[in-house]
Amino acid sequence: MFVIKGLPASPGVAIGPAVLLPTADFAVANQHVEATEVKAEIAKFNAAVQKTLADLDENEKKLRQTLGGEYANLMSMHKMILQDPMLKDSVIGKIKKEHMSAQAAIFHTLQELAASFEKLEDKFFKERRNDIFDVGKRLVNHLQGDKGQFWASIRRPSVLIARDLFPSDTISLQENQIIGFCTDLGGKTSHTALLAQSLKLPAVVALSNAVRQVKEGDTVIVDGENGLLIISPDRYTLARYKKTQREIKKAESLLQTINHLPTVTSDGRNFKLMVNFDPRTDTKENKKLITDGLGLLRTEFLYMNIPQPPTEEEQHLIYLSTAKKFDMRPVTIRLADLGADKMPDFPLDEFDKDNNPFMGCRGIRLFLKNPDLMHTQLRAIVRTACEVPAQIKIMIPMVSAVEEVRHVRAALDQVLAEFEKEGKKPVNKIALGAMIEVPAAAIALDGMIGEIDFLSIGTNDLIQYLIAVDRVNPEVAHMYDPCHPAVLRTIHQIIQTAHQRGKQVSICGEIASDAKMVPMLLGLEVDTLSVPPRMFLRIKNRIRNLNFEACSDNAQAALLASSSEEIRSLVEQMNQDEDS
Amino acid sequence: MITQDIKITNRLGLHARPAAMVAQTAANFECDIKIAKDKVEVNAKSIMGVMMLAAEFGSTLHLTFDGKDEKEAARAITQLFTNNFNEDY
Repeated sequence: MFVIKGLPASPGVAIGPAVLLPTADFAVANQHVEATEVKAEIAKFNAAVQKTLADLDENEKKLRQTLGGEYANLMSMHKMILQDPMLKDSVIGKIKKEHMSAQAAIFHTLQELAASFEKLEDKFFKERRNDIFDVGKRLVNHLQGDKGQFWASIRRPSVLIARDLFPSDTISLQENQIIGFCTDLGGKTSHTALLAQSLKLPAVVALSNAVRQVKEGDTVIVDGENGLLIISPDRYTLARYKKTQREIKKAESLLQTINHLPTVTSDGRNFKLMVNFDPRTDTKENKKLITDGLGLLRTEFLYMNIPQPPTEEEQHLIYLSTAKKFDMRPVTIRLADLGADKMPDFPLDEFDKDNNPFMGCRGIRLFLKNPDLMHTQLRAIVRTACEVPAQIKIMIPMVSAVEEVRHVRAALDQVLAEFEKEGKKPVNKIALGAMIEVPAAAIALDGMIGEIDFLSIGTNDLIQYLIAVDRVNPEVAHMYDPCHPAVLRTIHQIIQTAHQRGKQVSICGEIASDAKMVPMLLGLEVDTLSVPPRMFLRIKNRIRNLNFEACSDNAQAALLASSSEEIRSLVEQMNQDEDS
Repeated sequence: MITQDIKITNRLGLHARPAAMVAQTAANFECDIKIAKDKVEVNAKSIMGVMMLAAEFGSTLHLTFDGKDEKEAARAITQLFTNNFNEDY
C-alpha cells in the first residue's frame, strides 16, 4: 500500500482499477519535413482543425444540457481560438517557410502565443494561456491519432490517473466509465476542479508524480475529502473506505430529505438557520434550499473595481432581485464594510492611507466620513423595502460606540422621510442592527442594546480584535483561536445582554459553519446561525442530531475553563458523542 | 479608411467575453480592422490578439477600418463598446 498526498478538488471517495491517460506531451517527433511534403502537412493541419471543431461543437452541446451556459460559452471561446487567424497564419507560415511539420508548427506557435500572454501583467488575462494550450492539445491529439481509442478501451468503471486534465477532457469522463480522477498538476479552483464538483466526481489534484507511481490496473482509492490517492490499499484500508463511501452516500440522500424539516434539536429546541447569500454565485442547488431567511448580504462587491460609487438604481436592482428570492422572510443587508482590505478604486473624502488599516477607517467609520455614500445605500435599501414583503434588516458593520448607531438611525429616518414625501412607505418596518465585532461594542453592549433592533456577532473580526492577532500574519496566525476562553466568554456575554433586553442574536462568521463548533454556539443560546449555502444542509443535519441540554451543559463547563486546550477537549467531547 | 479612438467604459475591461464579441463581430466584415493600444497593434478578427491587448477599464484604443464595408464595420464595432458589451456593471 502506498499513499500520496495532494489537494482535495472534488469531494467523495472513488475505488476502482487505475487507467492512465496516455500523455499527449508536445514531444514533437518530426521537426522538419521535406519541401515536397509541405502541402500534405498543411492539409493535415486543416483536417485536424476541422475534427477539433466538431469535437468542440459536440462538447458545447453536451455542456449546455448538463451544466448550463457558462461552461458552454467556454467551449465557444475555444472554437474562436481554434479559428483565430493569428493561430492559422502562424502555423501555415511555419510549415511553408520553415518547412516545419504541422505538429512542430503548432507547438512553436503555441509557445509564442503563450509567451505573449505570460508577459501581461493582469492575472486574469494571463490565465487565458491555459485555454490556448487546451485548444492546442486537442489539435495535436487529432494529428497524432484518435484519443477516442483510449476511451473506448475502458471496459469497466475506473479511476483515471493523468498528468493534467483539461476542462474539455473532464466533461466526457462520466460517459467513459470514469468514477473519479487524480492529476499531478492543477489547483483547487481550476475549471477542472469546478467541473468535477458539478459532475460529482471525486478528484484529487496536485499529486506531483502519481503517473509514475501508479501502474495500469492497480486498485486505487481517490479520497476527495482529504486529498489522498491510495495505491494498492490493504484489506483493512479498503474496507474502511468502502464504509466511508456508504456513509457519504447515505449522508447525501439524508441531507436532501431534511431540507423541508425544521431546524430543531432532538430534545425540541428550535433554532433559526439562515444563509449568507451572494447574488454572484447563486446556483440551481442553492435555490432549492428552504431557509429561515438571508442572514448576511455583503455589499462590498458593489463598490469594487468600478470608477465611481454604485448609484441608487444599480444597488436597488440587486437588492430587489435578492429580496424577491426570500419572499416574506428576513433579508439582512449589511452596509458596505469598506476600508482595510476592501478599498474601492474611486476616491473617498478625507481618506489617507492607513498604516494599520484593520484599526483604521473602515466599516461605519468610513461611511460616516462619506455621508453621501451611506445616504445612497440607505435610499437603495429603503426603496427595496417599499416594494417587497420581505422583512428588510440593515446591519451596521464595525460599530464601536452607540453614537455611531445614532448617526445611522438619524440618516435612516431622513431617508424614510424623503420616501414618505413621495407617498412611499416600507411594507414592513425596517429593522436596524449592529454587527458586534469590536470588543468595545461587546463590553459596553448594555448601553447600545436599547437603540438597536437586533445584533449579529461577526466572529471573524471579533476573534482577531480580542486576541490582537492578524490572521494574515504568518508569525501569529496560529494564535487566532475560536476556542480561546475570552472568545466564548465574550460571545456568552453578548448573548446574555441581548436576551435580557429581549433582542435576538445571530452569528454569521466562519465559526457558524464549523460543524464542530455548532454544539458550543447552541449551548451558549445563540438564536440564529447564518452559513454559506453549500454548508446549509450539513449544519442543519448537525443541529437536528444534537441534544440541546447536553450542549448547554458542555457550554457551561467551557465558560469555566481556563485554557483553549480545555475548551478544545470539551468541543471534541461533543463531537465524539455524536460519532458514537 | 476610417480611424477612431474609443475608451473602454465597461468595468471589467476587454476580458474574454467582450474580446470574443469584438472578434466575432469583426469577422462578419470584409474590411481590415486593426486595434491599437500603446503601440501594440492587432487584428480585430483575432480573439487572441484582442485579449493580448489586456485593455483595462479606462484605457483608450485606436481603431482602424479599411475596406469596402468599413462604414458598416465601424458602426457595428463602436456599438459594442458604447453598449459596454451588454454587461450589467
